[in-house]
Amino acid sequence: MKKPYRLGFSDFLGKILLYGVFWIFTFLTIYPLFWLVMSSFKTTQAFQMDRLGLPNPFFFGNYPMAWKIGKFDILFGNSLFYTITTTLAVLLFSFMAGFAFAKIKSKATGWLYKSFVIGILLTLQSIMVPLFLVTNAVGLYNTRLGILIPYIGIGLPMGVYLGTEFIKSIPDALIESARIDGASYGRIFASIVVPMTKPVAITLSILTFTGIWNEFMLINILASKETIKSLPVGILKFSGALATDYGKQFAALTIGMVPMLVFYLIFRKQITQGVSAGAVKG
Amino acid sequence: MLTLEDSVKITTSKGEERWAYWLLVLPAVLLYFAVITFPTIFSIYLSMTNFSGGQLFGSELTFVGVRHYIEMFKDPYFWLALKNNFYIILVSVFGQIPIGFALAYVLFRKLVGLQSFFQTMVYLPNTISTIVIGVMFQSFFSPYGAYTELLKKINPTYENTLMLDPNLAMIPVLIVILWMYTGYYMIIFLANLQKIDISVIEATKIDGANEWQTLRYVILPALSGVIVTTAILAISGSLKSFDLIFAMTAGNPARRTSVLSIYMFDNAFRGAPNYPLANAISTFMVVLSLLLIIIIQKLEQRFGGRE
Repeated sequence: MKKPYRLGFSDFLGKILLYGVFWIFTFLTIYPLFWLVMSSFKTTQAFQMDRLGLPNPFFFGNYPMAWKIGKFDILFGNSLFYTITTTLAVLLFSFMAGFAFAKIKSKATGWLYKSFVIGILLTLQSIMVPLFLVTNAVGLYNTRLGILIPYIGIGLPMGVYLGTEFIKSIPDALIESARIDGASYGRIFASIVVPMTKPVAITLSILTFTGIWNEFMLINILASKETIKSLPVGILKFSGALATDYGKQFAALTIGMVPMLVFYLIFRKQITQGVSAGAVKG
Repeated sequence: MLTLEDSVKITTSKGEERWAYWLLVLPAVLLYFAVITFPTIFSIYLSMTNFSGGQLFGSELTFVGVRHYIEMFKDPYFWLALKNNFYIILVSVFGQIPIGFALAYVLFRKLVGLQSFFQTMVYLPNTISTIVIGVMFQSFFSPYGAYTELLKKINPTYENTLMLDPNLAMIPVLIVILWMYTGYYMIIFLANLQKIDISVIEATKIDGANEWQTLRYVILPALSGVIVTTAILAISGSLKSFDLIFAMTAGNPARRTSVLSIYMFDNAFRGAPNYPLANAISTFMVVLSLLLIIIIQKLEQRFGGRE
């Protein structure tokens, strides 16, 4: 028999305690970000006078200045270009390979597929130097292509894994009957497989998009030309030479932070689903 | 009876199958091998040569054996970096994972309201660019930052040397790592908690088990595989840490906040490049992460295939 539920005093205390813990975590998350955004509305002099308080009056001048100094129009353009191109390429190549691995018999599948799965767990940081040397040697240093190729390459292991596992669940009968009707593999891929991959395509897009948008390590060593840098590299400029110009630094950081925050708040559910889907294996 | 026409059809169909297979996998395979496999193997080779810049392909490289590995193991900065990697693992194992689990558990059992709001808040730092977070906390913990001002409210004579004192500098880095990734572990635990059959939990409740007993005898055993996975994630996460430290401290003061990846970066890109040493570090990290992969696969066999 289930006991009738009664809210005792200790339960009540426990509830207060648990809420307290979660509000503390919320506060700890928000406070540094709040401090950053508030400080971005102070002039550097005002910030030096009062480093904690609210801006009084609100000063908006840091933003246009930081935007201009940081060349944010170029940075945003490049970041969008790298992120969108990489995401589309990873989706296409992953599903192509996933279709072949899942639905066409071949002796090569065993070890090829396994090598992709190993790639999910391989520490990418460890190949930073050899990748730089090879990129340099083949003449792709400081080119957009020299950034895109590694970006697509590092997105593929997770993509091929998620794609293959998903496409395996498409019934063989669907593909066989299309084969009997005389459809080529290319046609089956385009008109049967691709339309069915929507759920995994969303997960993969979000993982790739957020990963590449925030990627710093590779582009930092593969590009030194201002015109091909992305947002994270551009923002770092505000920590070096411009570090004492606090107002502009905080404005630049806020500009760099907001797009991803908005993206997260819109796609909250899909992002957390994608993260846990990716982590179970990775 | 097979006619000639039929057999032609079958062979072309077999041939077409093979063609289709390779056309479909080729873009992914080529890119993957060019970007990940080849550099990894090439790095092992370079680590045993005297390559020090200049033309990479086609030039004569002298084989020097394991000399650079010995150089690496004799370098005190290598051990310093490795120690910091170890600290990061400790923060994960004793900080992020238990806290992440506790938070996930409270949300899963609906012991507080506003679950979706709290979940969003705790995970939020994961979504922001690590570079933004690094630069922000560099300011936050600096003598002119909010941290100093807050402590001065408590103790007006407080002098902030956190980011300047080589013995203390790793502390703010570890705090930020805890701040950033606890939500990540919470999400992983929450996703796996939600796979547990609710009716089992309800049944134990009806049988008179209290919250602790349910946790101890039903939920924790069901999560044993996930707990092992997160521990492995913590180790590989430590090997992956680069961006945050690069932006926050660049490994300083006196290279005391360096980790393996920063140590490798310094040898390759700061000052005179020492590519063979950098490649030796790279190979060392690849070996570590391959070891982890083997451990994971063994554990997965043991705990049975979750998903």
